Amino acid sequence: MGLKGHAAIVGSAQYKPEKYATAPRMFHLEQVADLAAQALRDAGLQASDLDGLVINGPQFHEASVFVPAMAAEYLGLRLNFAEVVDLGGCTSVGMVWRAAAAIELGLCQAVLCVLPARMAPLGPDEDPSWMARAMRFGGHSTAFGAPEAEFDLPYGHMGQNTGYAMIAQRYAAQYGYDPRALAKIAVDQRTNAQYNPQAMFYGQPLTIEQVLASKKVADPLHVLEIVMPVAGGAALIIASKEVAARARKRPSYITGFGEHLAFKSPSYAADMVQTPIGPASRRAFDMAGLKPGDVDAAQIYDCYTITALLTLEDAGFCAKGEGMSFVREHDLTWRGDFPMNTHGGQLSFGQAGSAGGMSQVIEAVTQIAGEAGERQLAQCDTVYVSGTGGVMSEQGALILQGA
Amino acid sequence: MSNNKPMPVPTEISAPFWEGLKAERLLIQQCNQCSHWVFYPRRHCPGCLAHELAWREVSGGASLYSFTVTRIATMPDFADEMPQMLAVIELDQGVRINSNLVGLDESEVKVGMRLQPVFAEVDAKGTRLLRFTGMDKDPQALKSLPAAVEQPAVAAPRVRQIALDDEAALQSLVSDTFSPWSNRIVVDQGLIDAFAALSGDDYWIHTDPERARKQSPFGGTIAHGALVQILQSRMQLNLDYEITGFSNMVNYGSDRLRFPAPVPAGSTIHSRARVKRVERVKSGTQLTLELNIHVLGSERPSVINELVILYM
Repeated sequence: MGLKGHAAIVGSAQYKPEKYATAPRMFHLEQVADLAAQALRDAGLQASDLDGLVINGPQFHEASVFVPAMAAEYLGLRLNFAEVVDLGGCTSVGMVWRAAAAIELGLCQAVLCVLPARMAPLGPDEDPSWMARAMRFGGHSTAFGAPEAEFDLPYGHMGQNTGYAMIAQRYAAQYGYDPRALAKIAVDQRTNAQYNPQAMFYGQPLTIEQVLASKKVADPLHVLEIVMPVAGGAALIIASKEVAARARKRPSYITGFGEHLAFKSPSYAADMVQTPIGPASRRAFDMAGLKPGDVDAAQIYDCYTITALLTLEDAGFCAKGEGMSFVREHDLTWRGDFPMNTHGGQLSFGQAGSAGGMSQVIEAVTQIAGEAGERQLAQCDTVYVSGTGGVMSEQGALILQGA
Repeated sequence: MSNNKPMPVPTEISAPFWEGLKAERLLIQQCNQCSHWVFYPRRHCPGCLAHELAWREVSGGASLYSFTVTRIATMPDFADEMPQMLAVIELDQGVRINSNLVGLDESEVKVGMRLQPVFAEVDAKGTRLLRFTGMDKDPQALKSLPAAVEQPAVAAPRVRQIALDDEAALQSLVSDTFSPWSNRIVVDQGLIDAFAALSGDDYWIHTDPERARKQSPFGGTIAHGALVQILQSRMQLNLDYEITGFSNMVNYGSDRLRFPAPVPAGSTIHSRARVKRVERVKSGTQLTLELNIHVLGSERPSVINELVILYM
C-alpha cells in the first residue's frame, strides 16, 4: 500500500519572510507565476513540463472558487491534474503527497504546488477593514450554524494561542512541565537561524532566559514560543522519476506519507495530548519501510514549542512523556546529534500563513540536495517532515529520500 | 461589560440547550440507538449517525480537563474579564465543553478538579452561558450580571504640597511610574449617542450598532476618541501631589494626543497619569501630565494625552 517512491521534489522557491507592513504587495496570481518561474529555474525545467497544479483554495485573493482554472489560464498551463488543499498549516505536506500520488497514478508528470502568502494590492474602492474583520476571529468561523461560532466564541475561545496553551496545560498535568526544555527548542532553532540569512531572526541569537522572560500570552506559553506571522509564499515542483532524471539537482523522492484528522477543536479529541501526528507518522514510516531512528534530520512543524515537543513524542523519536528529557539531552542544531528545523524552524524563520509549512519541506529538499550552505549537514539522505494545521487538528508527515 | 462580545445565535437544532440554560437547567443530547452522549447539539449521533437523539437533563457534575489563563485578551471585548480563565470541561457523561471558570483564584485551579455549573447571565435579554466554578463556591452568587461598575478600593495617596518656586521639588515629580488607577466609568451607547448629537460626528461606526456589528472591524460600535479623551473629567486621578503658590492655572492643550486602541460601546474605562516634564517658560511653569485611559483589563491605552498645564 502507498507510494512506490517514484515521484520527487525537484525544485523549490520561497520568498524571504518579511513584515506585512513593508513586504511588496502582489496579486496572488502574479505571485503564483513568479514563484512557479523561480521554482522551474531551480529545477532546471520548463513551464511546458508542467501538467499538474496543487494550489490553495482558501485565502486566495482573486477568487474563492474555480482557483485552479483561473491560475492555469493566467500561467498558460495545460493541466491533467488540478487540486485545492484546505488543511491550514498542514497544506504544504498535504500538497506534496497528493502531487506524488497523482504522478504515480500516471495522471501527470510534473506538478506545481504553490502557496502565495504576500498581501495583494488594495482596490481603489476596497475597504481594508474586511481584513481586520477576517483577522478578528482568527481561524474561527462566524457563520450561522457553525458550532464554534455558537459554542466557542461567546466564551472567548478563539484564535490559536489558547487552544495550544490548553494542550500544554493538559500535558503538564499528565507528564510534568519543564519550561526550560520547551524554551530550548526555540533557542536551538534560533541558533540554526544564525546560519540562514533568509530567516526573519538571522543575526538575533536567543537564550533560554530571554524566552522565559518574554511576555506570557496564555499560560504556559511565552510570546517567544509562538511563531511570528510574516508575508511570504513558496512553491515546489514535484516530478516523475523520468523528469527528475533531467532535473538540475539531487531530487528528494517521496517514499512515505500519512495524514490524520478527526476534529477541529482539540477539546473534542479522544485524548488531547495524543496528537494526530502519531497515526500520520506511523503510516509514513511504514510506507517508507523506515523507523524514526533512520532519519538524518527532522523538519518538524513548529507553530509553537509545544507542537514540536508533542511531535517528537507522537512521531516516535522518543517515548510518550519523555520529550522534555529528549530535548534536554540532545543538541537540536545543525551541528548536533539530532538536527531539527535546520533552517531555524518557523519560530525563527517566520510563518508565512499556510506557506509556513513549506519552509520545512524546502529545508528538507535543500539539505538532501546538499545546497544548505553553512548549515549543510555532513550526511543527509533521509528526512522526516511534519505539517500541522489548526490547533493540532489536521496533521501530516512525509518521508523524503535522496536517491 | 462590552456589548460587542460575540453572543450565541441558537439554531433550530440547538435551541433546547440555550432555553435550558435560561431556565437554569443543563440539557444535553443522548442517542437512543447507541446511548452515546453528545455535545454540541446535532441532528445526528456522531457515534452511529442515527437520527434519534433525545434531550436529557443532567446534573452538571464535571471535572476540569484543561484550562489556560489569558494574559492577552483573545478579543478586545473580553478585556473587562481579564485575566480570563478559558477551560475545557468534561461532564460526568464524558462529553467535553469549551467554557470559562469563574469565581476561582488562579491558585485554586487544577486539572482534574471537580466543578459545578454556573448559569451565567450575560445580557439584559436573559441569555445565559454555561460557566463552571469550584465545588466550594456559591454558583448562585456568580450567575447574575454585575449590577453596577465595581470600584477598586484605593487608599487615597498622601498628598504632598509642592510650592511652585521649589524647583528641586517640582523636578522630583517627574517619573516613569504612573499613579494608581482612577475610578471606573462605563461608556455606553447612550453616552456615545449624546456625544454624536452634541459634536455632529454621527458616523455609523459610533452610532449604528446594527451596521457596525455587520461591517465594522470591531464587531460593534466604538466610542469617539474625542469622547473618551474628555471623559477624563469624570475620572478622579489619584495624584500624590498638589502644587501651591500660583495665581492662575490654565490648560494649555496637548503636546501629543493618540487613540491607539478602540473603546467598544459598553466598555468600562479607567485612567492613570504621570508627570512627564516640568519646565520654566517665559510665561510661567509648564507641567506635562501624561494621561492614559484604558479599557479595564487592557494593557494598551485607548487614549494617550500629554496634557500641558501652565502655572502662572
